[in-house]
Amino acid sequence: MTSAATFRIEYLQFLDAHGKAAAALPAFAQDPAALIPLYRAMVLMRTYDAKAIALQRTGQIGTYASILGKEAVEAGVGAAMATDDVLLCTYRENGAQIMRGVTMCELLLYWGGDERGSDFAGPRRDFPVCITIASQCLHAVGVAYAIKLRRQPRVAVCMLGDGATSKGDFYESMNAAGTWRLPVVFVVTNNQWAISVPREAQSAAQTLAQKAIAAGFEGVQIDGNDVVAVHHAMREALAKARSGGGPTLLEAVTYRLADHTTADDASRYRPPEEVAAAWKCEPVLRLRNYLSEAGVWNKTLEEELLRQCNEQVQAAAQAYLDTPAPPVEQMFDHLYLTLPAAYAVQRAAILAVAAEAAQ
Amino acid sequence: MKIFKLPDLGEGLQEAEIVQWHVKAGDEVAIDQPLVSVETAKAIVDIPAPYAGRIVKLYGAERDVARVGAPLIAFEGGDDSDTGTVVGKVEIGQQVIAEAPAGATPLAHGIKAMPAVRALARKLNIDLTMVTPTGADGLITANDVQRAARILAELGPQELLRGVRKVMAQSMTLAHAEVACATIMDDADIDAWPEDASVMLRLIRAIVAAARAEPSLNAWYDSQAVGRRLLKNVDLGIAVDTPDGLLVPVLRNVEQRAPEELKTSLARLVQDTRNRKVPPEDLRANTITLSNYGSIAGRYASPIVLPPTVAIVGAGRISKEVVVVDDKPAVHRILPLSLTFDHRAVTGGEAGRFLAAMMADLQRAD
Amino acid sequence: MAQITLVEAVNLALARAMADDPDVVVLGEDVGRDGGVFRATLGLLDKFGPERVMDTPLAENLIAGMAIGMAAEGLKPVCEIQFSGFAYTTLDQILNHAGRMRHRTQGRLSCPLVLRTPCGAGIHPPEHHSESPDAMFAHIPGIRVVYPSSPKRAYGLLLAAIRDPDPVVFLEPTRLYRLFKEDVIDNGEALPLDTCFTLREGTDITLVTWGAMVYEALQVADELGEQGIVAEVIDVATLKPLDFDTILASVAKTGRCVVVTEAPRHCSVASEIAATLAEHGLLTLLAPVQRVTAPDIVVPLARLEQHYLPGKQQILAAVKKTLQFA
Repeated sequence: MTSAATFRIEYLQFLDAHGKAAAALPAFAQDPAALIPLYRAMVLMRTYDAKAIALQRTGQIGTYASILGKEAVEAGVGAAMATDDVLLCTYRENGAQIMRGVTMCELLLYWGGDERGSDFAGPRRDFPVCITIASQCLHAVGVAYAIKLRRQPRVAVCMLGDGATSKGDFYESMNAAGTWRLPVVFVVTNNQWAISVPREAQSAAQTLAQKAIAAGFEGVQIDGNDVVAVHHAMREALAKARSGGGPTLLEAVTYRLADHTTADDASRYRPPEEVAAAWKCEPVLRLRNYLSEAGVWNKTLEEELLRQCNEQVQAAAQAYLDTPAPPVEQMFDHLYLTLPAAYAVQRAAILAVAAEAAQ
Repeated sequence: MKIFKLPDLGEGLQEAEIVQWHVKAGDEVAIDQPLVSVETAKAIVDIPAPYAGRIVKLYGAERDVARVGAPLIAFEGGDDSDTGTVVGKVEIGQQVIAEAPAGATPLAHGIKAMPAVRALARKLNIDLTMVTPTGADGLITANDVQRAARILAELGPQELLRGVRKVMAQSMTLAHAEVACATIMDDADIDAWPEDASVMLRLIRAIVAAARAEPSLNAWYDSQAVGRRLLKNVDLGIAVDTPDGLLVPVLRNVEQRAPEELKTSLARLVQDTRNRKVPPEDLRANTITLSNYGSIAGRYASPIVLPPTVAIVGAGRISKEVVVVDDKPAVHRILPLSLTFDHRAVTGGEAGRFLAAMMADLQRAD
Repeated sequence: MAQITLVEAVNLALARAMADDPDVVVLGEDVGRDGGVFRATLGLLDKFGPERVMDTPLAENLIAGMAIGMAAEGLKPVCEIQFSGFAYTTLDQILNHAGRMRHRTQGRLSCPLVLRTPCGAGIHPPEHHSESPDAMFAHIPGIRVVYPSSPKRAYGLLLAAIRDPDPVVFLEPTRLYRLFKEDVIDNGEALPLDTCFTLREGTDITLVTWGAMVYEALQVADELGEQGIVAEVIDVATLKPLDFDTILASVAKTGRCVVVTEAPRHCSVASEIAATLAEHGLLTLLAPVQRVTAPDIVVPLARLEQHYLPGKQQILAAVKKTLQFA
């Protein structure tokens, strides 16, 4: 019997769970101090995340999806992207969005229920948060196609979760990206849980990375709690895409340390021992250990960083809380470029009711 | 249980160490009562109770670190801890509903006319109930409205009924719609009456006698409940013709009153009625009615029974008639009687017996 | 100037738009080498190359979804969904994303895409090829729905749709694709969106319709004319946003209205028009508004199709009923 095709999925890890180098570090990580910006980014996004949860618990924002546990994926991806690249992500990538220049105030406005939060002042071409699962994969294909058509040195970066890899939209996107050799990188954050459905119930595939094989391109599995591995894999994938090498799928293996959202209670469906074990491998601790061991980080620096992060996050939260609710017209302002005459009557009626209620 | 979470302590602080609990499970606390002292990086602060209630459970022991937004104290009552959603907030209410079955609504059969035609009628001040439809299935057309307008224009403006006439129009409409009228008629031979007999007094006495013999005509009928009340007293409504229209004042308890007193009361009542001096309470709640239209003209009639009464006696014009006495013709004074009754509540037999009793009393000499 | 069919007019407009604007691209199944199963994209691959005329893999979600990504990046994608029945798959992308992108980002990103699909019954195909998704798309906020009924209008309205800065679902009446020809000048002139076209002026009754039923409606108007009844015929053309003013003005004149659609009755666009006439034109009506529609059943296969689709007979009966009302 001859074999029609074989495949091999590589697994990438540089820093083990204890923060020790498990393999020769890539060039950019040779100097440990070079990893400090990544560490700072991860701590900032964790601080923001905790604040967002607190704001939800005290009724200041609506439902919020925590990024607790996946800071390495977000920092590793966000730091690797070029300014002109395009990020298309889910509702659980606020950390990467912060690295792309979306302000924390904008993020809180979004979670607080205000569309102005998606009118990013910074990355004007990045897509807004996508709630429907895997739709952003299709959009990423379109973005990548436009980039390729215009011969631009840009890449579309599509972030999605393990659950999303079961969707038709995902398969269709992967297939098209492979067929057309598009400049897109798919980053699957496999945090083991799609709400209450564990990874084992999501797919029989041994890895999610190998779904790329079916689409005709390379898939790599990475330790998603190792920011060095994530960042390295991302740099390589982006370079490949930028030079016309086509798409890559990165599966970053990590763990969702928080509930699915602030309205979820994960203790209903997962054992506390599992969560406790996952905390031992978490990414921020791991990098801190490495940096401390390497002599470039200490308690004083940690305290100073926490103080700075708290200050930044607090300022952002205050800016959000100080933002008044949008005017009622906002519902009609951007329905079309120019509101058709047919809807002027509806707009006027809504405004009249609102004005009366306000009295 | 209502879970009170460690609130935002401000200044970006994310956690605090529990220094001392001031309450324990089972305690009743008042709003703002200090629950626990916690130490942050900055200070020791007291957390006040956000509401009054009974403590069910404390989360964490002294020296434990509590995170902002994590459960701190469970109070009795409130929502189930399961939010029942992963997004947003599904409100949990305590109300239990029990829908009553909707009653059957009667079919509406109103005027059939297109909106444009109705608008036209409004504009021309035409009552659509007065317009004869010529369209298919009883539809009033624009032409029909215009025809009615032309006719009414020739007739001149109509007089809008007011006051007593309006009330009569309305109550007769209601009565006509509701009552199942039937009438029996007969003659009373009153030749034996003395010269000075008062017709009204004799009629009143006859009605009282008849009501005693056949009580079902001195009653009130309730069409909603499909029930009737047989009434002990005879409150006799007297139809009085006034310049303003028909009024029916009431002589109360005529079965108990002496004839002389009745006579004067009746005279006064009629005069007061004509002068519009009768109080409203004397114009309602009669148990049976007498219409002595014969004083003007008419022998037999079928006057309208006004609910809730079930009978009205009509007395026609007294005249000399040729009658048969002992198989021979004689000329006697005859009083024609008509009795209209509501056949929903009164049978023909009952009406007949009532009339017979009236006749028997009227045909007595005294 | 050439005498061309409706589908040729679509082809002409596409070629015109692509020639005028390098950002206009076409994508769909079999649109490239095959020129589209109805030949709507014939010749475009040769003229504009495979990067701008894409034969996509077989995936309607992909076609609609990637068009959104392309549009956000400033391209003007014209995607083809091969048959109306497959258009329902795209409702997710059109409703959840295309119609919302501008509002979601407060104008930062927008979605100038066109989604074309052949619609309507009458060509006796297998199942799922005879759908009328008019109302389903017309119910979506933030998009336009356009439905031409002639070669001239197909040309002019498609150009307008491609140039429009917001998403347009362009429904093409399959039955009329080659049924007749019309002189169309390839002058690149767009026709106005958001407006009805009054094809015949009349005084006695207003016939309101769109898509393939315009053809029958005009024939009915001719027959009525022979009987001395002058019918006004209105082609709605843009189902959303709908130009009610033209319809209301017409009914103010005639007092009677029959709305004709080949879509099923319940929640049809015809119902929207009837409701609006009741709301704003009640006092001008001399008779109730009649809707001539398909019944609320599954589109039957070919052998019973003629009993499903409304035709001249039903339109005439409705007209007669309306005129005889009072």
